[in-house]
Amino acid sequence: MRELTTDHISQQFNAELETLRQHFLTMGGVVEKQVSDAIQSLLEGQGDLAEEVKAKDKTVNQLDALIDEECTRILAKRQPAATDLRMILSIGKAVSELERMGDEAKKIANHALKLINEGESPRGYVEISRIGQMVTSMVRESLDAYARLDIDLAVSVAKADRKVDLEYKTAIRSLITYMMEDPRSIGPVFNVIWILRSLERIGDHSRHLCQHLVYLINGVNVRHVPTEELEALATEDKKV
Amino acid sequence: MSETSTHSIDISAMQRSHQALRIEDENVCLSVKDLHLYYGEKEALKGIDMIIPEKKVTAFIGPSGCGKSTLLRCFNRMNDLVDGCRITGEINLHDNNIYAKGTDVAELRRRVGMVFQKPNPFPKSIYENVAYGLRIQGINKKRVIDETVEWALRSAALWDEVKDRLHESALGMSGGQQQRLVIARTVAVKPEVLLLDEPASALDPISTLKIEELIHELKNEFTIAIVTHNMQQAARVSDYTAFMYMGDMVEFGDTNSLFTNPSKQQTEDYITGRYG
Repeated sequence: MRELTTDHISQQFNAELETLRQHFLTMGGVVEKQVSDAIQSLLEGQGDLAEEVKAKDKTVNQLDALIDEECTRILAKRQPAATDLRMILSIGKAVSELERMGDEAKKIANHALKLINEGESPRGYVEISRIGQMVTSMVRESLDAYARLDIDLAVSVAKADRKVDLEYKTAIRSLITYMMEDPRSIGPVFNVIWILRSLERIGDHSRHLCQHLVYLINGVNVRHVPTEELEALATEDKKV
Repeated sequence: MSETSTHSIDISAMQRSHQALRIEDENVCLSVKDLHLYYGEKEALKGIDMIIPEKKVTAFIGPSGCGKSTLLRCFNRMNDLVDGCRITGEINLHDNNIYAKGTDVAELRRRVGMVFQKPNPFPKSIYENVAYGLRIQGINKKRVIDETVEWALRSAALWDEVKDRLHESALGMSGGQQQRLVIARTVAVKPEVLLLDEPASALDPISTLKIEELIHELKNEFTIAIVTHNMQQAARVSDYTAFMYMGDMVEFGDTNSLFTNPSKQQTEDYITGRYG
């Protein structure tokens, strides 16, 4: 696929699209850091870092509003078509996913603070560490895919989400068993469960991000397509 | 919970209205087969194959000089009037080759009417402008002419604006009104096809919207082919769009797909403003 933001006769339009793209990737960078910091704050018991994650939510919300505004302005002034149109629509949706990822990171930070201040959970950190690693790399790769318009990478992230879902289910099952054996642990273990739930959601949002990217690149809507069919749909229909 | 949400919603009906049109499902009005057109030595159309579907709007887009107006003028043999213009291939209007020997060109142009960029009303009254085509067909009955004039002016969404001044000069109308009058004059002789060559490019935005609205109404009765430089206009008014470049038909397909996900890189470059 060719570059998105070059080669228009209107240099001004090139510039507007490039600014939009840059702002989107900047927001992606902030959210990526927020997610990995949230996990680190929990695993290493760093309350300050958790506070930082919470504070960043404001920046993310501001970027969300800014990018939304930029999309609206381009639609109103340029009446984009084809790839340009799909880029605006795709980024417009993708920022919502990023914003929600940011919200989930903030939730993780809140639960981390509770566990730090009120006492650790006896179980669940191994699972958080493992799923956390999977999810942070999904977030990073989905943003890389956006930056490079890499459809193969997008498909592989969407596939990775199934592994996260599976890990999540397994972890919940074992934590429920643990709580049944030791009801005193229910409070802190529940914090862990909420954190796992947030991580799982972040995985879902990364997958959605990649689905929006497939629409941008190929014009195919793969949002409600089972993962097995996604690959075939995503890679067909290359322009001649 | 609101009242409507308790009723079942027919999603498939909603989806149907969004489905891409399929050219295979259309009735053919005009079909073009391997059409080449030469202005002297220069080949202006290089083997065009396409159909114009019946009672649909087909838009032609492309940069200046790509041959879109030339192709449009082939549909009622307006190019016959150009010196040194030579045409090979076929254009069939409902199975009759309009370039066959013995074709009655005047009759062809009645069946395939044309409207140009600049409104060109005759220096006569509004009424006489619309009645003109009927009179040269030999229709003289006042009642028939009255009825047809009213029908044509209503079809062109002009009746309410001019019904009290039918006998005033057409030249006193605004540009937008003049263009709708010309459309009324064209439809008065009940053609099958309307060819519109940049019908709104000399008009202000509101008059343009009125013409576009009119096109939408007219396709219930006529087959419409429109050439426009305004891509957004093509996107708004047409069911099918043809993108032409240097005498070739690069892409022809349903308008919704062509403007959101064209299948050719050249089309993509043109509609996203990358040609230069």
